[in-house]
Amino acid sequence: MRPRRTPAEATAAPAGVPAPPRATTGAIIASVVALSCALLSGCAAGAPTPTPVVAAPPPTTSTPAPTPTALPQTPSGTPVPLTNADISAQESVATVEPVRVEVASLGIDVTVEAEGLDDAGALALPADPAVASWYRYGPSPWSPAGAAVIAAHVDSLEYGLGSFARLRDAPVGTPVTVTGADGQVATFAVQSVTVADKSGIDWAQVFDRTGPVRLTLITCGGEFDYDTGHYLSNVIVTAVPTG
Amino acid sequence: MRKTLVAGIAAGALIALGGALPATAADGDAQLSVLHAVPGVTVDVYVNGALTLDDFTPGTLAGPLALPAGTYSVAITASDAADASAPIIGPIDLPLAANGNYTAVAHLDPAGTPTATLYTNDTSTIAAGQGRLTVRHDAAAPAVDVLAGGAPVITNLANPAEAVLTLPAGTVSASVAATGTTDPVIGPADVTVAEGVNTIVYAWGSLEDGNLALAVQTIDGLHSNPGGVPAGNAGLAATNRPDASAPLWIGAAAIALLAAIGGVALRQRAVAKSGR
Repeated sequence: MRPRRTPAEATAAPAGVPAPPRATTGAIIASVVALSCALLSGCAAGAPTPTPVVAAPPPTTSTPAPTPTALPQTPSGTPVPLTNADISAQESVATVEPVRVEVASLGIDVTVEAEGLDDAGALALPADPAVASWYRYGPSPWSPAGAAVIAAHVDSLEYGLGSFARLRDAPVGTPVTVTGADGQVATFAVQSVTVADKSGIDWAQVFDRTGPVRLTLITCGGEFDYDTGHYLSNVIVTAVPTG
Repeated sequence: MRKTLVAGIAAGALIALGGALPATAADGDAQLSVLHAVPGVTVDVYVNGALTLDDFTPGTLAGPLALPAGTYSVAITASDAADASAPIIGPIDLPLAANGNYTAVAHLDPAGTPTATLYTNDTSTIAAGQGRLTVRHDAAAPAVDVLAGGAPVITNLANPAEAVLTLPAGTVSASVAATGTTDPVIGPADVTVAEGVNTIVYAWGSLEDGNLALAVQTIDGLHSNPGGVPAGNAGLAATNRPDASAPLWIGAAAIALLAAIGGVALRQRAVAKSGR
């Protein structure tokens, strides 16, 4: 599992600088290094982020701002993050789109298409259960943080039962493989399977763009309303990175 | 006053918030960022009389700082000043409301005199697939038009006004021209307008001195989310299906058979349902 790290932490933590018992010259040097690295955005290898470190925390969540806590404290107060604001210093990190999801032990092998919203404001899904939908505006499996959401129909009047129907029975630890448009592969392991009533799901949490990297596979399940033609629940599988 | 010729390079030095300010963020705090957009001058920034930004260089964005709601007095001095008694700019009062998001910009007025402007950043939720582009005129220059792909999208923007657009997420080739003209005085430059992000572009510097430039601030986390995942319409995997005691594949086969028999009607129903 890749823990969420800010560029400053990613740089400071492995540096092997022993933590001083209190704010000392060592802490100041460490923070200078951390700040410089955050500013020079290239030395935070492994933690590329599409938005600069100056980004404000999402006002709609209680997630604490990563930057202030990433830097050592000083006797006089909280360090202020600095960034080079020049337009030439802005970096746009290309997103790797997932194109295939496999869960070999469950016989799942689906292609993935990037989708936005349908007319009702829900995630748009291809009609064929063998074609999954990745929410294109949220994280990808290769993003530095947040939940990559990939969903597929559990069934269809036209195509019949889909392979995602078997997700409901996925044991914890089940390997999941995602292939990107550039050919790279990310592996995950199932951490939890939840069947949740649709009316009670916190979609902002499901589509969370912050926090640890994870893969969220969604389909329908539970009871079916034969009058409306809809399932009453979603099956939500959370998988965490294994490599 | 120490001058620096290298604008836009952040000092990287440790700067500390003054002891008058709290060290930890709390619910309801305002977010304050500070942009130094006065060319050629390294400064110190004092908040409520305490040195808060030391040796702050042009083109550098500081923050965001989480501050309790209230009014803060900000003075900007030469970088070798001993205290806030002889400011270059201010002291000015910054009234910060609870949960507000602000950027204080030290910049030139149209005549080239240093001044400061407090902007309120729009952090309202943005529709899926869209980004917000905010453009602020903080340069010693007359009113301008902002061109995207050569066509004006903002007209007659004067120092220190701002304009806010909502655009499909993507990259905009932006340039700035004197209002009513299309000959760029800045750019064209690629501006990334990311989904769910307020991308704030500052035009700063001096037209007369030939050092006009663009600075960028981004505020993310403003995105909206899908309101559901409607991922099934046949009931084949339902726990309450009439044949729930039978193996799943029998139910699937039965429905598939029905679908084959009832072909046209069921296909029409599938089309009708698929949009939900």
